[in-house]
Amino acid sequence: MRHQGGHLQRLLRALRRQGGWLPAWMFAAGLLAVPALGLAAEGTTGGPVEYRDIPGIGSRNIVWVIAQLHLLLAGFVLGVPIFAWLCEIVGWKSGEKRYDKLAKEFTKLLTSSYATTALFGGILLFLLIGFYPKLMNYLTDIFFPSFIFYCILFLLETATLYLYWYGWDAMQDGGKKTFHIFLGFLLNLFAFFIMIVPNSWATFQASPVVIAEGTDIQRAWAATWNPTWWPVNIHRLIANVVLGGYICGAYAGIRYLAARNAEERDHYDWMGYVGNFIGVFGLLPLPFAGYWLMREIYQYNQQMGITLMGGFLSWLFILQAMLIGVLFLGSNYYFWLGITHRIPGSEGQYKKPIMTMLVILLLCLGVWMTPHSLVASLEEARKMGGTHHPLLGVFGVMSAKMTVANLMILVTFMSFIMYWRAGKQETATWAKVARSVMGAVLVLAGIAVIVLGVWGYFVPAIIRINYFSTSQVLIVLFVMLTITPLTALLLKSARTTTEMVWGRMPPRAGYALVLNAVMVILLMTLMGYARSSSRVHWHVYGVMRDSSQYAFSPALGYAAAFMALNTFLFCMLVAFIFWVATMGDKGKAAHGASKGELPHGVPAMAGGAPHHMDQRS
Amino acid sequence: MSEVVKLQLIGLTIVGMGIVILLFVRAQFARVMGFVAIVLGLFSLVALAVPQMASLPPAEEKFDIATVKTPTDMAAIGQKIFFSKGQCALCHSIGPSESARCPDLKGIGAKLSREFIFESLTQPQAYIYLDYRHEGPPKEYPARMPYINKNPIGLTKNEILSVIAFLQQMSGEPISVNPSELEVPGQAPKAPVKAEDVAPVAVAHAR
Repeated sequence: MRHQGGHLQRLLRALRRQGGWLPAWMFAAGLLAVPALGLAAEGTTGGPVEYRDIPGIGSRNIVWVIAQLHLLLAGFVLGVPIFAWLCEIVGWKSGEKRYDKLAKEFTKLLTSSYATTALFGGILLFLLIGFYPKLMNYLTDIFFPSFIFYCILFLLETATLYLYWYGWDAMQDGGKKTFHIFLGFLLNLFAFFIMIVPNSWATFQASPVVIAEGTDIQRAWAATWNPTWWPVNIHRLIANVVLGGYICGAYAGIRYLAARNAEERDHYDWMGYVGNFIGVFGLLPLPFAGYWLMREIYQYNQQMGITLMGGFLSWLFILQAMLIGVLFLGSNYYFWLGITHRIPGSEGQYKKPIMTMLVILLLCLGVWMTPHSLVASLEEARKMGGTHHPLLGVFGVMSAKMTVANLMILVTFMSFIMYWRAGKQETATWAKVARSVMGAVLVLAGIAVIVLGVWGYFVPAIIRINYFSTSQVLIVLFVMLTITPLTALLLKSARTTTEMVWGRMPPRAGYALVLNAVMVILLMTLMGYARSSSRVHWHVYGVMRDSSQYAFSPALGYAAAFMALNTFLFCMLVAFIFWVATMGDKGKAAHGASKGELPHGVPAMAGGAPHHMDQRS
Repeated sequence: MSEVVKLQLIGLTIVGMGIVILLFVRAQFARVMGFVAIVLGLFSLVALAVPQMASLPPAEEKFDIATVKTPTDMAAIGQKIFFSKGQCALCHSIGPSESARCPDLKGIGAKLSREFIFESLTQPQAYIYLDYRHEGPPKEYPARMPYINKNPIGLTKNEILSVIAFLQQMSGEPISVNPSELEVPGQAPKAPVKAEDVAPVAVAHAR
């Protein structure tokens, strides 16, 4: 021991000489952590180690933070290419260069964010191997073929990303641009597979399919194609689009708030609009994907479904309703701000519909957030005649929640359509008929959704779930699929009466965009906790039991603290990535900037300094 | 100070810090971070305001067969299993309940024989109604009841017998399960209760 100690002292002295105190302290801290890891190893007597721990912090807590950050970053790096590619296509088809510029601006983020995501993935892998050797051995045994496939996918994705990013300027014209867009498609295709392969590992833990016979590939394939794999794949794909869109919006919001000249304000106002639009575009079908996932969970294992929706996680869905409600309100609010500030003269015209939509949204949110059973004292429960409130209890059931969720989607869709049509006058001869048809479709759909919702109270649950809820979803989809193309056709020949003016949004619009992004990130952390907790005390549900000291799911309050921490850390990471990626641009801009800059010390409050805008208009 | 109170204080502090930043700091990025802190702090406070329920792994009921002397002892163990490891109360109620998703088990021990209950727990697909509401041959409804002797619940035979004893006791029936039927670990079972060996109590194929 003394000999060893002498070595260590020499090593520490050498490090101090080389690079000062910091590396020496870090090295010493690392050495101190090693015995802690060893001391905390758990296993069967004389058998292999099953768990390791870091006392004081807890292995589960560390994995929770790293895994959540990895997942959020992964969502970001998979969502951004979709977003960028869509923007590139719009720019290519419409000939508007600003879309291409926006796509490039976001693709630039990919290189640094891709490396950060991989870094967190690597850390997560090492931690999992270290903390859960038994589980990782088991999963490796089942999924080894897909590990290899995953590595190949990474090689392909990396090569495609390099080509896509570094070839951007070189592939701008003619066939080269088409090829570049094809590269964007490939990038997203590989990214999709990179997402669904690990999804199979995670969903296997919740809904395992284990076959004893067959080759390694057959066993891996059976385990991969488990009942919740595709619902999670689709849910995450859409959620990544939403995340990408809203993060773009939040970035634009922050830059808009800090804008120092009219050009920046215009650009970031427009970018916020595009981000919010893509976020809402993904948000509208997201509840349907979530519904499908829950349905599959119920069909796979009713107990798991009940644990989620009616068991100890039932209050989690009240929090989810709150977050989704705020997200819907935030997205609509941003649309409404856009109508009243970007389209001069439209404030009075849209005041009434906006107020109506706000009231409907708030009422729907109130119903969605009503818990099934109330927290009541014994005396209160006696007065109510149970834990269910005689009036509010009616709103706490799935039939009511499904109805209001669909109504909120309808209202948000109408906000979008209203925004789209604002400042334009339809000139088509059939415009009046089309407007009547759209109005009728909307009103009938709203009535049908409510009727089915009320009827749902009087039929067996299986009928409601299989027919009524599905019909509600189909009705809302029908509305979207009829009104969207009809509006597009109508506006093709429409005359613009009021030009949209960018850069006039008030500062609260920037904060609304940030709020929306925070809500989406919080939702992802919340549902990560739900997914993990639904397995209760199993690593692999019903197959491999968690026998560690952490084989419990913490209460919501404790979990929410972690969700908030993870959300904050992720926001800081994304801010860092944006800062690093745009550092060069700022340098260039500083060299060339001279015009349009406001005097120092007078930050231009976005939308609050109309001086310059008035001059232009 | 409880953990919840500590977390509430942290949440309030974060919200307060966010408000201070918004009031006194001019730098836009810091202001946005202050706003984010307020949102996250409020979220945590709301999450702390709802009922705090942790999901603990089910307590293992230790079967010290030497201490189980009477059928009532078995019923007492069965009652604990009913509400814990067996997860029966997740779906079933004892007495009418608005939240129960599956049949009310009040008096079930008087309505059904112990063999039928055993079979319902271990072979839930054995006797269920067929669905004729479509063209072609009838389809089996998938059983909503899980296999109680298999994972994830995985009750042992001793535990299942104890649950049956509890169901009979709470139905006011004499308990027909006897401690002598309990299997001692490492020994061959004395008198296995096999569903296949007994005549079906009810044939529920609705034809």
